[in-house]
Amino acid sequence: MTNSAKQTAFVIEQKSDHMMGRFSAMASPCELLMETQDPLLANYLTSLAYKETKRIEQKFSRYLPNNPMAKINHSMGQAVVIDAEIFRLLEFANSCFELSDGMFDMTSGVLRQAWKFDGSDNLPTPKAVQALMPYIGWQKVKYDQSSITLIKGMELDFGGIGKEYAVDCVANMCTEYAPKTSVVVNFGGDIQVTRARHNSQPWYIGIESPEDDDKNTTHTLKIVSGGLATSGDARRYLLKDGKRYSHILNPETGYPIENAARSVTVAAPHCIQAGLLATMALLKGPNADVFLEHQDVKFWCYR
Amino acid sequence: MKKKLNISAALASATCALLHPYASANEMLEGWKIDTSLMYYGETDRVSAVEAVIAGQKDFGEEQLLSGKIVIDTLTGASATGAVAQLTAQTVSRPSGEGTYTVSPGETPLDDTFKDTRVQLDGQWTQPWSDVSRITTGLHLSTEHDYYSLGFNGSYAHDFYNKNTTLSAGLAYSYDVIKPEGGLPVPFATKTASINTSEDYDDNEDDESEDDDDDNDNYDNDERLGSSDNKSTVDVLFGLTQVMNRRMLMQFNLGFSEISGYSTDPYKVLSIVNEQGLTQSLVYENRPDSRTKTFAFWQTKYALDFGVVDFSYRFATDDWKVDSHTFDSRLRINLTDSSYLQPHFRYYNQSAAEFFHPFLMEGQVLPEFATADYRLGEMSAYTFGLKYGTKMDNGDELSFRLEYYQQSPKNAGFTEPGTLQDVDLYPSVKAVIAQVNYRF
Repeated sequence: MTNSAKQTAFVIEQKSDHMMGRFSAMASPCELLMETQDPLLANYLTSLAYKETKRIEQKFSRYLPNNPMAKINHSMGQAVVIDAEIFRLLEFANSCFELSDGMFDMTSGVLRQAWKFDGSDNLPTPKAVQALMPYIGWQKVKYDQSSITLIKGMELDFGGIGKEYAVDCVANMCTEYAPKTSVVVNFGGDIQVTRARHNSQPWYIGIESPEDDDKNTTHTLKIVSGGLATSGDARRYLLKDGKRYSHILNPETGYPIENAARSVTVAAPHCIQAGLLATMALLKGPNADVFLEHQDVKFWCYR
Repeated sequence: MKKKLNISAALASATCALLHPYASANEMLEGWKIDTSLMYYGETDRVSAVEAVIAGQKDFGEEQLLSGKIVIDTLTGASATGAVAQLTAQTVSRPSGEGTYTVSPGETPLDDTFKDTRVQLDGQWTQPWSDVSRITTGLHLSTEHDYYSLGFNGSYAHDFYNKNTTLSAGLAYSYDVIKPEGGLPVPFATKTASINTSEDYDDNEDDESEDDDDDNDNYDNDERLGSSDNKSTVDVLFGLTQVMNRRMLMQFNLGFSEISGYSTDPYKVLSIVNEQGLTQSLVYENRPDSRTKTFAFWQTKYALDFGVVDFSYRFATDDWKVDSHTFDSRLRINLTDSSYLQPHFRYYNQSAAEFFHPFLMEGQVLPEFATADYRLGEMSAYTFGLKYGTKMDNGDELSFRLEYYQQSPKNAGFTEPGTLQDVDLYPSVKAVIAQVNYRF
């Protein structure tokens, strides 16, 4: 007789002054810290968070065969019907494309066919990279409130904002169902705190960041409310002839951004806002710090 | 440069469109912390007041705070006029000529028919100035039917040593207009019709108040100085807050005030008595038109295992020679995680103003300034109170406060002639304060 381990969707833990809900989604450990001692409320909020996160994961994952994302990416140049949520995300991606002067481009995901960031020295050939360039370019995407049309061979990749979007959606849900409860939504370092705790005390969150090669240190940040997001390369890079190639790719050239920071953490009112600013900073290469200084946000840059 | 800042703002706006497609007007109230309270103040046989306060505070993030407060007071009752009690009954007429009433022998004359409503508005904005400092500016407006006050203030606070020490400096200016019923009386002019004036004071317990109220329809033909006058006050304040250790916090304040303008209470009188102690006439009082005050304040708060104790001492002195000492202490006892009991004790003592006279002797030269207002005389006051507070499940807080307050005026060294020795010239004023407070 074999013991089949029962797989629970999520677990609830009681801590000294809050409750924690945990589950796995979007390739990250997901946590909910709730300022309450009520197990029913903790259970309810965590199950809502779990369902919402799974919903977003399944809708926007590029690995599933039949979801809306698959329909768009395999549309062979035909128009595909979209819903209001996809339209809002496309509008948001469009704003990010313009604000980043074309560096943030959701169609650049196809480059992963040429670049494999496994720490080795296998750089792709220039020919392989050039072959993919016709399929990159947000300006080539046509969309409106009801449909989207991509050139055959183009793909959309929501990976850059999917996790932060999920964090904000879950935070919105917690605010709606438990408006007086302070909740920290933490999906692997992408964080949103719904409101200040009752005595305005901050939440103490540990963030891992790479300071030396393969060595992660944990910094403890104090957050009262708002969002926090980290963009970084973790262990995704290529190393050849002493030159390090980060996994942040320039959609106009197909090659990695030079001198990009290893990791950028930004604090902003919403997680997705923080995430975009962090990503834009990485895309600025050596000018990441200067860029973030001008945005008047709190940030930490590690090179 | 401009384009770069716009990125953050544009991104914020794009985020809003993404996350809140159906933003509604309810968001206007979001983020406001509201504090409401209703208080009843009642002196035995004298003034009663009901006060309602609504205060709100909104955090705009990044340490920017907007706060506002509306206070509405309604006062009724009777208050001492400054005239002395007599052994025989005195018949006095009410204001507005609504007949007369009799003051029983030995009782202090009060006017018993006045009512007033006061509305006060305060607004304040706090803005960070740098990483470790902030400035606050505020506006104050208050109005009663015979008194208007407009003020504004500003202060600067600077943190040192990781917010363990905070130094602050503030300046306030206020302009008051008083327009008493019947006009401004001539100092020491005889009050012809013996209408008892009345006054009330706002809930600033024993310090004589600057904004008096009255409902005195004066039908006498007393000479009048004019219909209104004004007064300016400048306050300067310095503060130091210091965290002493993990459990203890101290605060020191030093303040200076300069008041210039009409400071007399137009409704108060003094009795002129003869050698037998019998009242011959009533005359209007007169106070100097400038006053310079200084005060020093020290407070300690200490966190105990079961609550917090705080203790403070305040010393004030001015060029009217009113020196005062205040000892105030509160002990908060946490009953549970969400409820507490807080007993309160306060002792206040003040010396008489140098122009305080409980009465004037007939035939003697009138002094330049004189008042019989017991709130400028020598007195001590005690407060004993208890407060109970509880936090509800939804985070709202409810609290109840009950206090007993007694003012005991004392003889500042005046010899009482004749029959005045047989009456109580310094009656105690006893009051009960009850308040309900709800915060959400």
